[in-house]
Amino acid sequence: MKTRLRVLRAEKDWTQAQLAEVVGVSRQAIIAIENGKYDPALPLAFKLARAFGKNVEEVFVWEDDSLEEK
Amino acid sequence: MPTTTERIPSRPVRTFWAVLGVGTAIDITAGWLLAQPGYSPHARIIFALLPIPMNLVLVALIVRRIRQLDEFLRHVHLEAVAIAFLLTGVAVFIYGYLQQAHVVHPLNFGIVWIFMVVFYGIGYLIAARHYR
Repeated sequence: MKTRLRVLRAEKDWTQAQLAEVVGVSRQAIIAIENGKYDPALPLAFKLARAFGKNVEEVFVWEDDSLEEK
Repeated sequence: MPTTTERIPSRPVRTFWAVLGVGTAIDITAGWLLAQPGYSPHARIIFALLPIPMNLVLVALIVRRIRQLDEFLRHVHLEAVAIAFLLTGVAVFIYGYLQQAHVVHPLNFGIVWIFMVVFYGIGYLIAARHYR
Protein backbone atom coordinates (compact mmCIF):
# COMPACT_ATOMS: atom_id res chain seq x y z
CA MET A 1 0.00 0.00 0.00
CA LYS A 2 1.32 3.44 -0.94
CA THR A 3 0.62 6.58 1.00
CA ARG A 4 0.59 10.30 0.20
CA LEU A 5 0.93 11.13 3.87
CA ARG A 6 4.32 12.81 3.56
CA VAL A 7 3.15 15.06 0.71
CA LEU A 8 -0.08 16.02 2.47
CA ARG A 9 1.80 16.72 5.68
CA ALA A 10 4.27 18.94 3.83
CA GLU A 11 1.38 20.85 2.25
CA LYS A 12 0.03 21.58 5.71
CA ASP A 13 3.54 22.33 6.97
CA TRP A 14 3.06 19.90 9.84
CA THR A 15 5.85 17.95 11.52
CA GLN A 16 5.50 14.24 12.12
CA ALA A 17 5.06 14.96 15.82
CA GLN A 18 2.25 17.40 15.13
CA LEU A 19 0.42 14.96 12.89
CA ALA A 20 0.93 12.25 15.50
CA GLU A 21 -0.67 14.49 18.11
CA VAL A 22 -3.63 15.31 15.85
CA VAL A 23 -4.50 11.64 15.28
CA GLY A 24 -3.41 10.45 18.75
CA VAL A 25 -0.58 8.09 17.90
CA SER A 26 3.17 8.01 18.45
CA ARG A 27 5.62 9.75 16.12
CA GLN A 28 7.14 6.33 15.41
CA ALA A 29 3.79 5.25 13.97
CA ILE A 30 3.74 8.21 11.55
CA ILE A 31 7.36 7.51 10.51
CA ALA A 32 6.63 3.84 9.85
CA ILE A 33 3.47 4.64 7.86
CA GLU A 34 5.19 7.33 5.78
CA ASN A 35 8.07 4.98 5.00
CA GLY A 36 5.65 2.28 3.89
CA LYS A 37 6.86 -0.06 6.64
CA TYR A 38 3.52 -0.28 8.40
CA ASP A 39 -0.02 -0.31 7.06
CA PRO A 40 -2.44 1.27 9.53
CA ALA A 41 -5.69 -0.40 10.51
CA LEU A 42 -8.89 1.15 9.17
CA PRO A 43 -9.70 3.42 12.16
CA LEU A 44 -6.25 5.02 12.05
CA ALA A 45 -6.35 5.28 8.25
CA PHE A 46 -9.66 7.14 8.51
CA LYS A 47 -8.30 9.43 11.24
CA LEU A 48 -5.25 10.28 9.12
CA ALA A 49 -7.40 10.98 6.08
CA ARG A 50 -9.83 13.12 8.09
CA ALA A 51 -6.90 15.09 9.55
CA PHE A 52 -6.23 16.32 6.00
CA GLY A 53 -9.89 16.61 5.06
CA LYS A 54 -9.54 13.76 2.57
CA ASN A 55 -11.07 10.37 1.91
CA VAL A 56 -9.01 7.30 2.76
CA GLU A 57 -8.38 6.49 -0.88
CA GLU A 58 -6.96 9.96 -1.46
CA VAL A 59 -4.32 9.26 1.18
CA PHE A 60 -3.69 5.54 0.82
CA VAL A 61 -3.39 3.76 -2.51
CA TRP A 62 -3.97 0.02 -2.65
CA GLU A 63 -1.46 -1.45 -5.12
CA ASP A 64 -2.17 -5.18 -4.96
CA ASP A 65 -4.22 -5.77 -8.12
CA SER A 66 -4.40 -9.55 -7.64
CA LEU A 67 -8.00 -9.13 -6.49
CA GLU A 68 -9.05 -6.99 -9.42
CA GLU A 69 -11.03 -8.60 -12.21
CA LYS A 70 -9.18 -9.16 -15.45
CA MET B 1 -1.64 24.07 13.50
CA PRO B 2 -1.22 21.53 16.33
CA THR B 3 1.46 22.17 18.91
CA THR B 4 3.62 19.60 20.62
CA THR B 5 3.96 19.73 24.37
CA GLU B 6 7.05 19.03 26.43
CA ARG B 7 7.08 15.48 27.75
CA ILE B 8 7.09 15.16 31.53
CA PRO B 9 6.75 11.85 33.39
CA SER B 10 3.04 11.20 33.70
CA ARG B 11 1.35 9.92 36.85
CA PRO B 12 1.09 6.33 35.51
CA VAL B 13 4.84 6.35 34.73
CA ARG B 14 5.69 7.60 38.21
CA THR B 15 3.35 4.99 39.69
CA PHE B 16 5.06 2.27 37.63
CA TRP B 17 8.53 3.23 38.85
CA ALA B 18 7.30 3.53 42.46
CA VAL B 19 5.70 0.06 42.32
CA LEU B 20 8.81 -1.36 40.63
CA GLY B 21 11.00 0.14 43.35
CA VAL B 22 8.86 -1.16 46.20
CA GLY B 23 8.47 -4.53 44.49
CA THR B 24 12.23 -4.87 44.02
CA ALA B 25 12.81 -3.94 47.66
CA ILE B 26 10.33 -6.63 48.74
CA ASP B 27 11.98 -9.18 46.41
CA ILE B 28 15.40 -8.44 47.90
CA THR B 29 14.03 -8.52 51.45
CA ALA B 30 12.29 -11.85 50.80
CA GLY B 31 15.52 -13.31 49.40
CA TRP B 32 17.47 -12.03 52.38
CA LEU B 33 14.96 -13.43 54.89
CA LEU B 34 15.00 -16.83 53.17
CA ALA B 35 18.79 -16.89 53.42
CA GLN B 36 18.64 -16.45 57.20
CA PRO B 37 18.60 -19.59 59.36
CA GLY B 38 16.24 -20.13 62.28
CA TYR B 39 12.86 -19.38 60.73
CA SER B 40 10.11 -22.01 60.80
CA PRO B 41 8.96 -23.66 57.55
CA HIS B 42 5.67 -21.75 57.76
CA ALA B 43 7.48 -18.42 58.08
CA ARG B 44 9.69 -19.32 55.14
CA ILE B 45 6.61 -20.00 52.98
CA ILE B 46 5.27 -16.56 53.88
CA PHE B 47 8.63 -14.97 53.01
CA ALA B 48 8.65 -16.80 49.67
CA LEU B 49 5.15 -15.52 48.84
CA LEU B 50 5.77 -11.94 50.00
CA PRO B 51 6.63 -10.58 46.51
CA ILE B 52 3.38 -11.79 44.92
CA PRO B 53 1.07 -8.79 45.61
CA MET B 54 3.43 -6.09 44.32
CA ASN B 55 4.38 -8.21 41.33
CA LEU B 56 0.71 -8.63 40.44
CA VAL B 57 0.23 -4.86 40.71
CA LEU B 58 3.21 -4.44 38.39
CA VAL B 59 1.70 -6.88 35.87
CA ALA B 60 -1.62 -4.99 36.00
CA LEU B 61 0.15 -1.66 35.41
CA ILE B 62 2.05 -3.05 32.42
CA VAL B 63 -1.10 -4.56 30.90
CA ARG B 64 -2.90 -1.23 31.36
CA ARG B 65 0.00 0.59 29.70
CA ILE B 66 0.00 -1.83 26.74
CA ARG B 67 -3.71 -1.16 26.25
CA GLN B 68 -2.98 2.58 26.11
CA LEU B 69 -0.36 2.21 23.36
CA ASP B 70 -1.29 3.00 19.78
CA GLU B 71 -1.70 0.15 17.30
CA PHE B 72 1.80 0.55 15.86
CA LEU B 73 3.59 0.39 19.22
CA ARG B 74 1.46 -2.61 20.22
CA HIS B 75 2.58 -4.25 16.98
CA VAL B 76 6.26 -3.59 17.78
CA HIS B 77 5.89 -4.85 21.37
CA LEU B 78 4.08 -7.96 20.15
CA GLU B 79 7.02 -8.79 17.90
CA ALA B 80 9.42 -8.10 20.76
CA VAL B 81 7.48 -10.44 23.06
CA ALA B 82 7.36 -13.16 20.37
CA ILE B 83 11.12 -12.89 19.80
CA ALA B 84 11.78 -12.93 23.56
CA PHE B 85 9.50 -15.94 24.05
CA LEU B 86 11.18 -17.96 21.31
CA LEU B 87 14.77 -17.00 22.18
CA THR B 88 14.11 -17.75 25.86
CA GLY B 89 12.88 -21.19 24.84
CA VAL B 90 16.03 -21.78 22.80
CA ALA B 91 18.26 -20.52 25.63
CA VAL B 92 16.56 -22.74 28.22
CA PHE B 93 16.91 -25.78 25.95
CA ILE B 94 20.59 -25.07 25.33
CA TYR B 95 21.12 -24.45 29.04
CA GLY B 96 19.47 -27.80 29.76
CA TYR B 97 21.79 -29.61 27.36
CA LEU B 98 24.83 -27.85 28.84
CA GLN B 99 23.56 -28.90 32.28
CA GLN B 100 23.39 -32.52 31.11
CA ALA B 101 26.96 -32.13 29.85
CA HIS B 102 27.89 -30.89 33.35
CA VAL B 103 29.22 -27.65 31.92
CA VAL B 104 26.90 -25.38 33.95
CA HIS B 105 25.25 -25.50 37.35
CA PRO B 106 21.59 -26.60 37.68
CA LEU B 107 19.22 -23.94 36.34
CA ASN B 108 18.17 -21.23 38.73
CA PHE B 109 14.68 -20.02 37.75
CA GLY B 110 15.83 -16.45 38.30
CA ILE B 111 18.05 -16.86 35.25
CA VAL B 112 15.00 -17.50 33.06
CA TRP B 113 13.66 -14.07 34.01
CA ILE B 114 16.98 -12.48 33.05
CA PHE B 115 16.90 -14.32 29.70
CA MET B 116 13.38 -12.97 29.10
CA VAL B 117 14.30 -9.38 29.89
CA VAL B 118 17.47 -9.41 27.78
CA PHE B 119 15.76 -11.11 24.83
CA TYR B 120 12.80 -8.73 25.11
CA GLY B 121 15.23 -5.82 24.77
CA ILE B 122 16.86 -7.48 21.76
CA GLY B 123 13.45 -8.24 20.27
CA TYR B 124 12.31 -4.65 20.73
CA LEU B 125 15.43 -3.33 18.99
CA ILE B 126 14.94 -5.75 16.09
CA ALA B 127 11.24 -4.89 15.69
CA ALA B 128 11.75 -1.11 16.07
CA ARG B 129 14.57 -1.20 13.51
CA HIS B 130 12.45 -3.22 11.09
CA TYR B 131 9.67 -0.62 11.05
CA ARG B 132 11.91 2.47 11.08
